[in-house]
Amino acid sequence: MILLQALVRLLSAVNAAVLTVGRQLAWIALAIMVIVILAQIFFRYVLGDALAWSEELARFFMLWMTGLIAPSAYRWGGFVAIDMLPQALPARLAATLNLALLSVAMMVLVVAIQLGWSDVFGFGGRFATASLKLPLSLVGGEDLVVRRAWMMASLLVCMILMTAVNVELVLRSLIRLIDPNSTIAAVPESAMLAGAD
Amino acid sequence: MLLWFLPAFLVFLMIGMPVFFGLLAAPGILLVLDGQERNLATLYRNVYTGMDSFPLMALPFFMLAGELMNRGGITLRLVEFSQAVMGHLRGGLAHVNILSSILFAGLSGSAVADTSALGSTLIPAMEKNGYSRRFAAAVTAASSVIGPIIPPSGIMIIYAYVMGESVAALFLAGIVPGVMVGLGLMAMVRLMADRYDLPKAERIVNRGQTVSPVENLIARILARINFIGLLWGAHVLTASAMGIEETPVIPVLVVMAAITEGFFRFMRTRMSEDVRVVWKRAVVPLQTPIIILGGILVGVFTPTEASVVAVAYAILISFFILRSMKLRDLPAIFMKSALGSSTVLLLVGAAVAFKTVVALSHAPESLAAFILSLSDNPLTLLFLINILLFVVGMFLDAGPAIIILGPILGPIFTDIGVHPVHFAIIMSVNLTVGLATPPMGLVLFVASGVSGERVESISKAILPFLAVEVLVIFLITYIPAISLTVPRLTGFIQ
Repeated sequence: MILLQALVRLLSAVNAAVLTVGRQLAWIALAIMVIVILAQIFFRYVLGDALAWSEELARFFMLWMTGLIAPSAYRWGGFVAIDMLPQALPARLAATLNLALLSVAMMVLVVAIQLGWSDVFGFGGRFATASLKLPLSLVGGEDLVVRRAWMMASLLVCMILMTAVNVELVLRSLIRLIDPNSTIAAVPESAMLAGAD
Repeated sequence: MLLWFLPAFLVFLMIGMPVFFGLLAAPGILLVLDGQERNLATLYRNVYTGMDSFPLMALPFFMLAGELMNRGGITLRLVEFSQAVMGHLRGGLAHVNILSSILFAGLSGSAVADTSALGSTLIPAMEKNGYSRRFAAAVTAASSVIGPIIPPSGIMIIYAYVMGESVAALFLAGIVPGVMVGLGLMAMVRLMADRYDLPKAERIVNRGQTVSPVENLIARILARINFIGLLWGAHVLTASAMGIEETPVIPVLVVMAAITEGFFRFMRTRMSEDVRVVWKRAVVPLQTPIIILGGILVGVFTPTEASVVAVAYAILISFFILRSMKLRDLPAIFMKSALGSSTVLLLVGAAVAFKTVVALSHAPESLAAFILSLSDNPLTLLFLINILLFVVGMFLDAGPAIIILGPILGPIFTDIGVHPVHFAIIMSVNLTVGLATPPMGLVLFVASGVSGERVESISKAILPFLAVEVLVIFLITYIPAISLTVPRLTGFIQ
């Protein structure tokens, strides 16, 4: 039990630190999306010159925004679920059910990482994106073509981070199974969460 | 074997699995059991391609715009404006709550945002005014479903994306149904006001407010332009109804400007200084829906571009007109929107993946055959489908429900002669109302969180309002003109 608690503290600290970085990058990605699409409108109407790369660039950042911040939402319980049954059950039973659900989630995540890995480093990832290049020619180098793999990696990173979160949640759930009143059992709540519908 | 996708998913859902994992685990497990492991890659890849879409980008942008306007104090101005318009009636603050929801719906596309933004100001105010807390929470939750019906609308962006419809047509089709829900709720409040003797309220909460000279000037000009725009719209419609092709532009505009100025001078004498200030303070924020819809209507913006223009406009007025925001507030607002939209985008991706694999199983065809075997009368089928959607909406959020059921149900009804946009509105409105239905309505939980009242007691108090909303759903279902007239007049559908 003491070992378990130490493990949770460690993993929790690591996750909290990594996800904080992810959230910072995610809001910057959203800000870049706003700027890119505003630039797209500006170029089309004011300069009369439609940009070829703006939509794809914005999509690039949208995927990375999602990949980097969704694990935070998962950790804070922001993934919509119907929790009527777990709430109606006695504490130990609820913890057991929760553990079972987390195992299924773990299975999904592990398979997703395998598939994502072979996608990113496989054949499909080597293709170039339709329009994205890093304009290194501006600084005297050669333009670097952005590969699809760089975009596809967003979901892989998302799944890896979510797996780390899931492991933490499993450990917390184990603690709750042993001692339902343990203060370490729940992830500290955040006021950041907001729904979308 | 694969026919068990849907039941397996529902079981996962009922025992408390997050929707995202349920959408992937149910088909995933069945694929493995069926010896089709290679289709797991299809499942995974569709999560990615399902999210990788430019039209979907309107979701994070509209969420961001709503968040900015809320933080920037625009919500409060809308509430004060609504109170100046309807506060003096019996059941005043309940009316104010509904009118604010209608106005807020034009800025945001989310019922949850509506509930939390309006609830946090209006529920305490209503309590102070003598309403019970659960009634206040119930009105807030019931009226917040207008948010995703009146454009912009996150749910309709998702529907259009999955079904390949035009976002603009759906947005336009939602205007009248959304206003109808609002008016219906107001009628219900009116009835209850007689029965339970609901209190009136002051029209003005904060006396002696002022507008800065710059905003005063901008508001006066914009209000006049809006009014002339209204007159011009009426003029164009009458002219085309009378079969007149061309009308002189300049003389008509001069006459309209004169009428407008006369009207404003006349109104000036009828309004107290405080009321005038409240109206003026609402003018600048209320340009948002005009910019969004106007831009899409004229064809200047795609919906995604309109959403980003709404973001820019919100930042602009929060910084320079309202002066309510500082640069250092922005990261937290952006982060909150990114957080909220990331879960929705992942859900969309997972639901698209689920849908693709379900399509492999021919389950949609068998379901369609089953539905068509029930009756060959479209009206009966529409009735049955509304009941199905209502039950689904009780348990499932509107977004996932649309992605899963839309591609199955949409084609059936288009085949038997229901207009695709009409069906889109039936489905969106029904599932949106589902957000406020017990036991699992999302906004009930948000309203409970904002008010501190238990979900069960809000669920009871909301019933009369839900009855009104169900009535509106059936009106929309059986009178297609309610949804189709506006997009038809503007030429967005045939």
